[in-house]
Amino acid sequence: MAVVVGTKKVVFARSIFRYSIITMICLMVLFPLYWMIVTAIQPPDITLMYPPVLYPQNPNLNGFRELFRDNPMSKWLINSGFVALLATLITTTFSVLGAYAISWFQWKGKTAFGLMLLFTQMLPEALIVIPIYKIYDQFDMLNNLAALSLIHAAFVIPVGVWILRPAFESIPREVNEAAQIDGCDYLAVLRKIIIPLCSPAILAVSVVSFFASWGDYLLAVTMISKQELYPASVGLASTMSQLNTPIQELLSGALIYGLPPVILYMFIQKYIISGLTAGAIKG
Amino acid sequence: MVSFVSPRTTFNSTRIGSSKNLPYVLIIPIAILTAFLVVYPISQGIYISLTDKTLGAAVDQKVSFVGLANYINLIDNSAFLASIKTTVSYATLNVVFSVGAGLLTALLVNKRFKGRGGVRALLTAPWAFPDIASVIIFIWILNSAFGVVGIINQHLPFDTSGGWLTSSPYAFISIIGMSMWKTFPFYSIVLLASLQSVPDDLLEAATVDGAGPFQRFKNVTFPSIKPTLYLLGLLAFIFAFRQFSMIYLTTGGGPERDTETLVISVYNTAFKYYDYALSSAIGVAGLVITFAVAVVFLSLQNKAQKRF
Repeated sequence: MAVVVGTKKVVFARSIFRYSIITMICLMVLFPLYWMIVTAIQPPDITLMYPPVLYPQNPNLNGFRELFRDNPMSKWLINSGFVALLATLITTTFSVLGAYAISWFQWKGKTAFGLMLLFTQMLPEALIVIPIYKIYDQFDMLNNLAALSLIHAAFVIPVGVWILRPAFESIPREVNEAAQIDGCDYLAVLRKIIIPLCSPAILAVSVVSFFASWGDYLLAVTMISKQELYPASVGLASTMSQLNTPIQELLSGALIYGLPPVILYMFIQKYIISGLTAGAIKG
Repeated sequence: MVSFVSPRTTFNSTRIGSSKNLPYVLIIPIAILTAFLVVYPISQGIYISLTDKTLGAAVDQKVSFVGLANYINLIDNSAFLASIKTTVSYATLNVVFSVGAGLLTALLVNKRFKGRGGVRALLTAPWAFPDIASVIIFIWILNSAFGVVGIINQHLPFDTSGGWLTSSPYAFISIIGMSMWKTFPFYSIVLLASLQSVPDDLLEAATVDGAGPFQRFKNVTFPSIKPTLYLLGLLAFIFAFRQFSMIYLTTGGGPERDTETLVISVYNTAFKYYDYALSSAIGVAGLVITFAVAVVFLSLQNKAQKRF
């Protein structure tokens, strides 16, 4: 931007000011994550010293070793991964179909369908988790990881449809007319044209639903009561409530469980920023 | 025409010829899932709210229909009214502080500077970070005996020895701080995208006319990002209204129900006080609020579209 304000000195002072505020904000945002890493890699006797030392000392990986030794942590992570991947698969497939219906066709009931999605999207799960528990109990679907991922999918699909709709609508009409002349039917148009052209938005949907499922605690803790079936969120929360869990072990758990989504996000953030604006509701 | 469904209402016919049944076939999976996991549970919740059912009672416990008794009970139930108040203040403060901090950050990061890409990537890390991991970190940081917050405590002009998560009003402040930490970086990224659409030549013209930074913001920047700001404000409200695990696992709604928002109240009433029917009635009240928020959302979205 070529806006020149004031003299060079003023500009310099302003940029110093700007940098220091940016640094401060970054420190505030990153300190909790930094502190998690420090606590996870240093022995507890140093961690519990007062006043706390702000950099890690005698780093070791005992916390991780104890975490996997004392708890079925690898099982929990695998469970989380399974539920999240299945939920992602269901969400992405159903959202693509739903978004296709809502963005390319005129049909009776479309408005009602859209309103239903919007309402579902805003609905706090906590309000209906008890009735869902009763229903799952009736249908013998408690302690079933696949059944858990169905609930995750049901609550994230509206976000998926919302992210995909504008992307689907942005495809020019002519492309389809050409495809139809070539003999493509509606589903072929979806498969051969829309899905390839909208792959960034579809990727965004997958990431959002993976995060939502991986991060869920409330639904998982209500539907899953067997320790070996816990997803990592419930497993970690259960070790947290045991008072004798060493602090290094606990923070190591937070690190291992929290890091995959952050890394995943950093790799693909440029593809998904725009879609995420819509996904914010599930944040 | 409700705008959520089709913001571009220009297609009167289908875009690719006509197919009467296909759209219905396409939405069958979603319809089944929603019917089974949203509509049916809601109807169950409404039904239970009209009875006197309790949790954990004997299997053969007789459940009788009590009409609106649970709702009448709610009207003068001080815990319920307090939870509404807590929800509203928690959500409102979240909107003000998270969106405010997001806007401030976005305005600062909007200018080009070295390492901007890196700063942006780092700033969104908390958004991707799962709730339970955040909870563990904050419980540790705010621990009253060993937490690193101890360094700050002794310099504060007020007494926090009761613990940041266990005494009033600090527990409430803490949960706002936590949700702010988690959300404001994300709002700043969204606002940053919106700031890119502010026309440069208008800003330059304003500068030439002698407008200072504050006036430029008020007269040029703010009007163009207003729709995004409103939308984010609403998102922040919804985020706060839905928030369960970060409150439940840090304060559990305490101390003295200080941090018991509506969703926590639904859970506690059922699982702590075993009053399943009353919990359902609170849940229905929550559904009404959700519905109201959805209506506000639609009208905001309509307004935003009229501008363009």
